[in-house]
Amino acid sequence: MTHDEIEKAIIRIFADQFEIENPGLNDNLRDVYEFDSIDAIELLREIEILLGVQLTREEKKAAMEIRTVNQIVDYVVRLDRKIE
Amino acid sequence: MLRHPLRNNWYHTLKDLTITLILWGYYTIGFVILFAPFYVCSRFFSTDVTQAFQRLNTRFYRWFFVLLRYLAPACRWRVDPAVKTIRGAVIVANHASYLDPILLISLFPRHTTIAKQRLFHIPLYGRMLRLSGYIPSSAEGPLAELMLDSMEKMPAFLSGGGNLIVFPEGTRSRDGQIGPLNTGAFKIARLCNAPIHVLYMENTDRLFRPGRFLFDTRSANTVCVEYLTCIEPRYDDPGFSLNGLMGQVRGVLEDRRSPVR
Repeated sequence: MTHDEIEKAIIRIFADQFEIENPGLNDNLRDVYEFDSIDAIELLREIEILLGVQLTREEKKAAMEIRTVNQIVDYVVRLDRKIE
Repeated sequence: MLRHPLRNNWYHTLKDLTITLILWGYYTIGFVILFAPFYVCSRFFSTDVTQAFQRLNTRFYRWFFVLLRYLAPACRWRVDPAVKTIRGAVIVANHASYLDPILLISLFPRHTTIAKQRLFHIPLYGRMLRLSGYIPSSAEGPLAELMLDSMEKMPAFLSGGGNLIVFPEGTRSRDGQIGPLNTGAFKIARLCNAPIHVLYMENTDRLFRPGRFLFDTRSANTVCVEYLTCIEPRYDDPGFSLNGLMGQVRGVLEDRRSPVR
């Protein structure tokens, strides 16, 4: 998947799963949209479905510190490259 | 013979103070002497430490309320029988007093709850919360692993009959109004496809008022745990909305809320 495809997929997940439409790419999700740890865990599940893989505990732990959509996209791009 | 009102006040305050100190004594020294040995044994010998700790917590608080009922006979207690039959659900209730969470914990041997993040950092107590399988309210830093672990186990815990007890207001109401609801309980319910049971706690704040040290043991009072409703949302329905669900729960609580005191 390209960077743009991943970005579109993440924004679609935000709209479908979290009722957050077109979040700013550099907005702090916690501060602006009250996106919390439970949301992050749900998002990780969606990322697993998107990539078709099971994430390891370490990969999930690393994601818990992410705060912006751009960081999420970078995280997914890194995972995607690792899988390829 | 009529008593002098001032002497009457002193007598009542002294009685409240004595009872409060007995209850705090049970909570601290009583815990160490009567329950700590069982916790230690469970920690090292139980095959399911989390479940053993949850049962012990329930017993510890159950005995707390047995003692409270005995010491404060003017207070009556009414727990809707339907409450005790709840299994495998997210239980949400209004929050008026520190008694609310421990009262619900005393009713459900298989339970977990969301506790404030800072409590997990208190030596021994924080360890006990972890071993009881309780969930931190936020998952920053070292609590991230605990949160991930809790959430991975939650679907099996709920489908196995356990209950998640949450006070979505997050803090005690000081005026009897229902405060803004936090999303956590509802997100977990969605994540685990679990039903939501709504309860109403009444008059716990008259027995143990926020901001006061003393229990009010002399006022005639009836503490109620009332079963309001069960909501079973269709989480996979495209029309499902978390805000809609929260609004529904809020509406149920507000409809039941007593008139402003």
